[in-house]
Amino acid sequence: MKKNNYIFKITMYLLIFLLISPLVILVIWSFVRIWPWPNLLPRDYGLRGFKHVLDPSTKSLRVLFLSVGLSSLVTLCTLLISIPAAKALGVYEFRGKGFFKMLILAPIIVPPVAVAMGIHIAFIKLGLANTFLGVVFVHLVPCIPYAVRILTNVFEIIGESMEMQARVLGASPLQTFIKITLPLMAPGLLSAGSLVFIVSLSQYFLTFLIGGGRIITLPMLMFPYIQSGDRMMASTYSIIFIVTALIMLLIMERIVRNYYKEQNYFYI
Amino acid sequence: MLKKFKPYVMLAPVMFIILGIFTMGLALGFFQSLGYFPAVGLKEFTLRYYKEVLTDIGFLDSLKFTLYTSFVSSTLALIIGVLLAYSIFQSKSRKGVLYTIYKLPVIVPHSIAALLVFNVLTQSGILARVLFYLGIISEQTQFPSLIFDQNGIGIIISYLWKGIPFIAMTVYTVLSNINDKLTDAALNLGANRRQVFWKILLPLLMPSILSSYIIIFAFSFGAFEIPYLLGPTSPKLLPVKAYIEYINPDLSHRPYSMVINMVLASYSLILVWFYSKTFKLFSKFDEIS
Amino acid sequence: MYKIELKNISKVFENKRVLKGINLIVNEGEMLSLLGPSGCGKTTTLKIIAGLFSPDCGDILFNGKSIVNIPVEKRGAVIVFQDYLLFPHMTVEENIAFGLKMAKIKKPKRRVKVREMIDLVKLDGCEKKYPSELSGGQKQRVAIARALAIEPKVLLLDEPFSNLDTRLRESMRIFVCDIQKKLGITTILVTHDKEEALLTSHRVAVILDGEIKQIGTPAEVYEKPSSPLVADFFGEKNYLEGEIIKGFFVCKMGKFKTGFDKYPRVMAMIRPEEIELTDSEEGSGFWGRILSKQYAGDKIYYKLSANDIQLKCMANSKNMFEANQRVWLKIDFEKTIFFKAEKS
Repeated sequence: MKKNNYIFKITMYLLIFLLISPLVILVIWSFVRIWPWPNLLPRDYGLRGFKHVLDPSTKSLRVLFLSVGLSSLVTLCTLLISIPAAKALGVYEFRGKGFFKMLILAPIIVPPVAVAMGIHIAFIKLGLANTFLGVVFVHLVPCIPYAVRILTNVFEIIGESMEMQARVLGASPLQTFIKITLPLMAPGLLSAGSLVFIVSLSQYFLTFLIGGGRIITLPMLMFPYIQSGDRMMASTYSIIFIVTALIMLLIMERIVRNYYKEQNYFYI
Repeated sequence: MLKKFKPYVMLAPVMFIILGIFTMGLALGFFQSLGYFPAVGLKEFTLRYYKEVLTDIGFLDSLKFTLYTSFVSSTLALIIGVLLAYSIFQSKSRKGVLYTIYKLPVIVPHSIAALLVFNVLTQSGILARVLFYLGIISEQTQFPSLIFDQNGIGIIISYLWKGIPFIAMTVYTVLSNINDKLTDAALNLGANRRQVFWKILLPLLMPSILSSYIIIFAFSFGAFEIPYLLGPTSPKLLPVKAYIEYINPDLSHRPYSMVINMVLASYSLILVWFYSKTFKLFSKFDEIS
Repeated sequence: MYKIELKNISKVFENKRVLKGINLIVNEGEMLSLLGPSGCGKTTTLKIIAGLFSPDCGDILFNGKSIVNIPVEKRGAVIVFQDYLLFPHMTVEENIAFGLKMAKIKKPKRRVKVREMIDLVKLDGCEKKYPSELSGGQKQRVAIARALAIEPKVLLLDEPFSNLDTRLRESMRIFVCDIQKKLGITTILVTHDKEEALLTSHRVAVILDGEIKQIGTPAEVYEKPSSPLVADFFGEKNYLEGEIIKGFFVCKMGKFKTGFDKYPRVMAMIRPEEIELTDSEEGSGFWGRILSKQYAGDKIYYKLSANDIQLKCMANSKNMFEANQRVWLKIDFEKTIFFKAEKS
């Protein structure tokens, strides 16, 4: 048994090393000035990439803020419409429940490429193509399944009895929702929100097709550099992307924690 | 009476988006694939485009290549992901940096995953440099080209980088929720550690393993970024092929693109069906006690 | 048939001494109860016998041979867990066959054994069902069949009846006792339920705070507890301090005849049912006053005060007394158990 544990530990460290070391190389690349073949380490370091991104004249910062704003809006909208849907699926019994569940989960499986190309023409006709609003709408499609899935599980666990208790004690439906339901589902809301935010922030193809080059987000700014093999610039954008994502996740966690003081209701 | 409609009303906003964009998108694509595209004057339903596409050698090569990369990448990700989850579980280091850091790739977008593979595996990448340093190769060109290659190595590896932590995360969560006493009971009845894994833990993990397998399989089957960035010029993966037909300035090419999309979508719908089947299959012992 | 011996078993968890030198012999074919409150270390003892924990020191012998170094899966001491722990992904049949499969027993033989077990625990028709489709009592029986299928050297039952409702518990208790008798398998039952321990076992070992305080037949431990701690575990008692002087017990209530003369300073243990109440003076006894009364159908619980000492009394409902009423208390001190008085 002791020997086995040793093997598992080595496997674990090896796999984690293989997963994480490319990210370390990414960090190094973002600070490179010159790194010729076949040097194992860069010959010279520099901040050209970061200077480029932070330079107000290159619009990179504006794109960064737009991306964060867009994804925050998408996250908010997704959660707002997913909460009632998840409650319906998690708490009530009704005809066609299985069908609805499957239909809502389908966008995780069906390629967004097919959906986006199909709906593009309709968006053009409706004047949604190449607009911010259009991009928000199309981002909702891959986000909803994740939010509904997580929140349905939450509602299956908390059920309706707590809410009923609150109603019996004289709380209005709105008070019940704010004082009881929301705090109970806070941890689930946090994980759903984080996941949805990341899904939205990572979207390339949907933004590219429906935004039509008018709505430019971080992945779109990054893409040409990866494509052309400019490793230093691509790595810089990647680092900025990852750091932004981590900061936003942290902020979200803080908001939920501060709002509900302790997070020790359940852990989902 | 009103209560009866309550769940449907609650589902309405989500269904508005799902039906209005997702289902609508697929339906419009379907019509266009049948040659109904009034915007450019095509108004007759026909199976011509299906016939042409499905008999095209180039398309069949692409389909094979797409199935191959997604099958290999998701199967390997599954095996290694389960191994990683079980290793973390066994080594008991449940707290600390290591336990969270492996999840990092999950929040990194696929385009960055492609860049990582690019940084490591090209002929001027880190791996080639390390081999040169060790004296195993003496020139860049001796390093095999793993990117843009016909075997899809670059594509497969970048999907692995994304898929392994995803599988490991899901499996680990379920694994740590399985009652430890079930393992005790099995040991007590004469099972050894290996038998406990194969006969008790793995079957109990199966629903979540299968569902995450289907998710990563479907994703790698229909995603655009990685094959676009790392794939060979020929055969192209299906999503890239569809996109290239789509941006053809001659709009009468649209139906070809839509046929490819429908092939992608129908494969995925089979997966959705399979997904729900597996859940029914396992619902009998759903309780993880 | 196996004889189980525990020699000076100790175990420390996170700086807490859970077991403090347990010595125990379970004879061949015997059914022994480990009785104690939750947290006393009885389940730990069971897991140490099974091999799920290893003891910090001490030895375990099966038929005189030490088995401490034999791993769980080869030890042949099978626990039936409190929450059954049936494998949710296997049918009843597969659950019962599990241990046989692990022992690499061939299929035809396995099938015969499973059939035999299903007949033994009377589960006909449930072979293909999954645990989630069974009732509590059925799950319990599958758990027992699963354990017995591999013909263990010792059967360990960990609070096996505590998850069942009262009526089912009674029938399962009889059922398990019958099977134990029929197979004559050495069995250790862990329970916190004193009635269960007294009803089912040949001998009872009372564990308190990681130590075995007393071992004996059910009648011995109940009638002649070795200490007030053991006595209290079997129900609330009254204690009267006093002295033994020339065949008499002298206390605040008076002077009573007794046959006891081991220690001079003693504590008399009086069970609530040993106090007889009447409304007139009658033989040797003393006066008291009813403080409160609780009616429980077939019996009545009184709280009394006599000479500023509070006493608990349980009487049948033939004569009823009301609060504040003066009553005459009669106690037969010739049969009373006396303990050596703690230093006062």
